[in-house]
Amino acid sequence: MTKKTEGDKVQISRREFLGTGAAAGAASIISTSAGAEPQNTSARQEAVASVSPPSDEQMAREVGAAIPPTDVQSAVKRPGSDLMVEVLREMAIEYVVSNPGSTFEGLQESIVNYGDKPNVMPEFITALHEESAVDMAHGYARCEGKPICALISGTIGLQHASMAIYQAFLGQSPVIVLIGREDFGARQQHTADDIAGMVRSYSKWDATPETLEETLNTLQEAYRQAMTPPMAPVVVVLDAEIQKQEAGDVQVPRFRPPVIEGVSDADAERIADRLVVAKNPRLNVGRLRTPEGIDRAVELAELVGASVQTRATFGPMSFPQTHALCGPGADENYDYVLGLERPGTHASIQNPSVRAFDDRDLMGIGFGNVRPPVRPQRDTSGEYDIVGDAEASLPQIIEAANKKINTRNRNAMSVRTVKHRKANRDARVAMLEKAVEEKRKGWNGSPISTARVFAELWPLIKDHDWCLASGTIFAGSHHAQLWEHNRPYSYLGMYPAAALGYVLGSSTGAGLAAKARDRIVINIQGDGDFNYAPGSVWTAAHHQLPVLNIMHNNRAYHMELMYLQHLAGVRGRGTERMHIGTTFRDPFIDYASIAKGYGMKSEGPINNPDDLYAALERGVNSVLKGEPYLIDVLTQPR
Amino acid sequence: MTMKKTTLFTAVIALVVTSVAIAQATGDAERGKQAYYDYACYGCHGYGGIGRHDIANQSSGVMVNEQVFLLYLRARGDQNPAFSTQTMPHYPASSLSDKDALDIYAYIMTLVDYPPQVEDIPALQGILDDAKSE
Ligand code: HEC
Ligand SMILES: Cc1ncc(C[n+]2csc(CCOP(=O)(O)OP(=O)(O)O)c2C)c(N)n1
Ligand SMILES: [Mg+2]
Repeated sequence: MTKKTEGDKVQISRREFLGTGAAAGAASIISTSAGAEPQNTSARQEAVASVSPPSDEQMAREVGAAIPPTDVQSAVKRPGSDLMVEVLREMAIEYVVSNPGSTFEGLQESIVNYGDKPNVMPEFITALHEESAVDMAHGYARCEGKPICALISGTIGLQHASMAIYQAFLGQSPVIVLIGREDFGARQQHTADDIAGMVRSYSKWDATPETLEETLNTLQEAYRQAMTPPMAPVVVVLDAEIQKQEAGDVQVPRFRPPVIEGVSDADAERIADRLVVAKNPRLNVGRLRTPEGIDRAVELAELVGASVQTRATFGPMSFPQTHALCGPGADENYDYVLGLERPGTHASIQNPSVRAFDDRDLMGIGFGNVRPPVRPQRDTSGEYDIVGDAEASLPQIIEAANKKINTRNRNAMSVRTVKHRKANRDARVAMLEKAVEEKRKGWNGSPISTARVFAELWPLIKDHDWCLASGTIFAGSHHAQLWEHNRPYSYLGMYPAAALGYVLGSSTGAGLAAKARDRIVINIQGDGDFNYAPGSVWTAAHHQLPVLNIMHNNRAYHMELMYLQHLAGVRGRGTERMHIGTTFRDPFIDYASIAKGYGMKSEGPINNPDDLYAALERGVNSVLKGEPYLIDVLTQPR
Repeated sequence: MTMKKTTLFTAVIALVVTSVAIAQATGDAERGKQAYYDYACYGCHGYGGIGRHDIANQSSGVMVNEQVFLLYLRARGDQNPAFSTQTMPHYPASSLSDKDALDIYAYIMTLVDYPPQVEDIPALQGILDDAKSE
């Protein structure tokens, strides 16, 4: 849709009715209706050229001295945006995370005012940066396997949000980005013919609906598009006028959730057959789509007595790590390996990756085709490499397998299940015996060892429902050995685009998911990452999200420091100045004070390892009560 | 192992074997502590010698005496300016003086790490016990 300069009669009358046809709008309507069939771009140029300077009123509004319109406006009885809220409610969108802008004031007013329970499903969440808003939606999606919305304003909000959209795209996470668009406001800079074009090369789908009916349908389609594999962010541009228009007798269309198909019956049959016949079958489970998928994977493994390899220590939605069948199993000579969203020696079912959307950027508006840094390799060595959805296929495979199980093979399956249980337990004990010897190194060191942070945190959280939201490679990933990752959201994994400024926002989003679910969120927060968009601390404080932020404060962009040191070494020029541009010295940054300033309880910096446990305990107790907390821990660099 | 690394390795071994000096530090450990920080040796070896590559507890063959240590820092650069397969930067004298290097040597020699045994660390022992009881 081009900017509304085409003299569309309906829209003129609507604007006249609403009394918001401000100077820009009026001017553009006149200028374009004079010329017959204007080309989109020339019409736009003309419109811009003939726009008179904004009125005092408009300017005042944009610079903050908001003066409500003085002319009498007819009350709208059933605003279009109320219906949009109904659509979001029916799709169970829990939150709309937003940084405000007048391009969507209609929708914002509806979210917080409309309905029997206003501001519930969705609840309006205030983000202090658009990037944070999308990161929060991304963090939520990684926990729950379903989307919430980020609501942002025009070309400006989208540019702030774009990196987070890129990150969610590479993270294959369902996020619905709603963009307000106002063509007749004082700020022409905030609108464009094709706003969504800016992020088209790294979003899966977008739409700019032109009527209310279309908008309602589009919101539903956005949900389906985001949730259909490969899952990815989608963008809907919401016209400001449509949000405010009288809906009249427009009805909310019935929502049909996406139907995701599994493999063919023949494939399911064949896989089930091989699993049942195998003497030592194995499942290689990657990231499934939703928690339901994990339950099905567990069901299949238990049904056929297969040992299982999990990705639970790498990211969300994989097989429970300490399930009795999870581990190398009693015999590592597997005679049938089925990959579920992972390669498998004999068969694999894997969804296509988002790479398939590289070519969406037909007009070259974005930064060309986005090249993911590491292109996912598809292992086609299996006899059967099926492009399909593993999660949706599991019920079919289970059903087919069930039919093939008889007394004899059931016996063999339970015998090997018992053997697997013992072998997997022994393997874990052996792994841990080695690991704890490593982890105790530097135990009493100051600054504090990263291993100690993870080790001392574990007894405090293990009996609660917890989510480790931050990627942990920079902090040593000690949880991978020491903790037990048995929930879909136990560990949300590294930043998918390796782009910083993500962890605080996404952890806060995990906090949104956790809040209503009696869950706590742990965020081991790099200091470099923190400083890009620290405002999420306020969001967590304001909305009382159960997030425990523990600073991995090595007072540096340490990764970069090490790279630079290495290079200086290669050049033989010494490392004495490598702190320039890589460290936070002179002055040190005081994170506890920052948190306090944003209204979050906090303490630190903690430098004495003997003080750590008590601090962690205070932090965990706080988040268990629903109050976020920040502990600044001075840590070893790695 | 490449030719160059082999050469270095041999040189180091030769020095270790022929050296009469027993590990003895002539530098100033206090100054060395500051230099260890200034040259950001802590970046990869941790503030207390436990890090990505541990050097505490006089565990390194390179620390056998001052000459070997200096050779390790210098020869690396002289022999192979790229030394690309190793992460340890090399330090010609122009980038780290003998004096600073020997002060750092003295400091590293003081670095010890005697952490408690696992059974005396409740958090680690608890994790092990839980796994065993499962
Ligand atoms: C960028 C990372 C880095 C920095 C900075 C660094 N080192 Fe190293 N160092 C290493 C690595 C890695 C090794 C192991 C050998 C290798 O891979 O090069 C090592 C090895 C050593 C060893 C030998 C250890 C052994 O096991 O025998 C000594 C001694 C040492 N470094 C001292 C220093 C000193 C002194 C400084 C500062 C002047 C320093 N390093 C700075 C990475 C680093
Ligand atoms: C948006 C963005 N900017 C810059 C970088 C380059 N970069 C990679 S790691 C890193 C430092 C990270 O600092 P911190 O989060 O404190 O982790 P540390 O390495 O100190 O443990 C930087 C700046 C990046 N990956 N993403
Ligand atoms: Mg850091």
